[in-house]
Amino acid sequence: MDAFSPVSALAGGALIGLASALLWIGNGRIAGISGIFGQLLPPANTVIWRIVFLVMMVGGAGAAALLLPGLGPEGAGGAALSLKGSPLWIAIAGLFVGVGTKIGNGCTSGHGVCGLARLSPRSFVAVGVFMATAALTVAITGVA
Amino acid sequence: MSDTVKPGYLVTAGASGALFGAGLYVSQMVDPYKVLNFLNVGGIADGSWDPSLALVMASALVVMFIGLRIGDRQKRPIFNGKFHKPDLTEIDKPLVLGAVFFGIGWGMSGICPGPGISLLAFMPENLLIFLAATFAGSFAGSYILKGMKPKPATA
Repeated sequence: MDAFSPVSALAGGALIGLASALLWIGNGRIAGISGIFGQLLPPANTVIWRIVFLVMMVGGAGAAALLLPGLGPEGAGGAALSLKGSPLWIAIAGLFVGVGTKIGNGCTSGHGVCGLARLSPRSFVAVGVFMATAALTVAITGVA
Repeated sequence: MSDTVKPGYLVTAGASGALFGAGLYVSQMVDPYKVLNFLNVGGIADGSWDPSLALVMASALVVMFIGLRIGDRQKRPIFNGKFHKPDLTEIDKPLVLGAVFFGIGWGMSGICPGPGISLLAFMPENLLIFLAATFAGSFAGSYILKGMKPKPATA
């Protein structure tokens, strides 16, 4: 079972904050992953930087795993990572995530990090609602 | 040439993405079960609750808060003509309904968009199903949004 990991949580969070600050100060953009991903769809006039961001995000996660293999589940890099549930369960979950982040205009990064840091009332509402709904969902459907 | 295809802009986007992905791995937020163990507040009673995600968010928030203050001192971003502040301010039905839908999907899977895409580095089974569904959902969502509001919000 996973255990509380305050040091890696604080360090990883700082990296995420740094990434968000860099994109804001450098490019004037909010690092909201659902927005960057969702707007790969037409009509998107600036697709290139979104692709660069996402490809480098995957690369950054992979590189960090090579440098710090001990942080993966069971200390085995990313090898033991698995998703919860049947393919149908996963597809339904993905659909909810896609629809929800689109119409709610943000996810854990856009609302949860950037929006809260901006003290945006919309983001406080969004984070409160999706945290509560997610916790309720887990209470009903379970962790494993 | 548009700012968004200039080298400085793209290098910044790439560096930000790499830091973001590294942060998701280091914080172990790429592990869906670690996220589910945070969302499982019932675990507070039996000691299995994992508060790590709250610390990840708090840490990221503090750094981003400082970043925003630095941004406030600039007339414009380094590689772009203006700051793209989200232009929506109203707490409306799409915001709340969207957060409910996202919360359901996140609670079912333990995966939100950042970790979902970063997991491409590790390719767990069925990941592509999740991402294809998320993409399809986002596509569908843009039409649902058009039906809910007079003008589409794509900030």
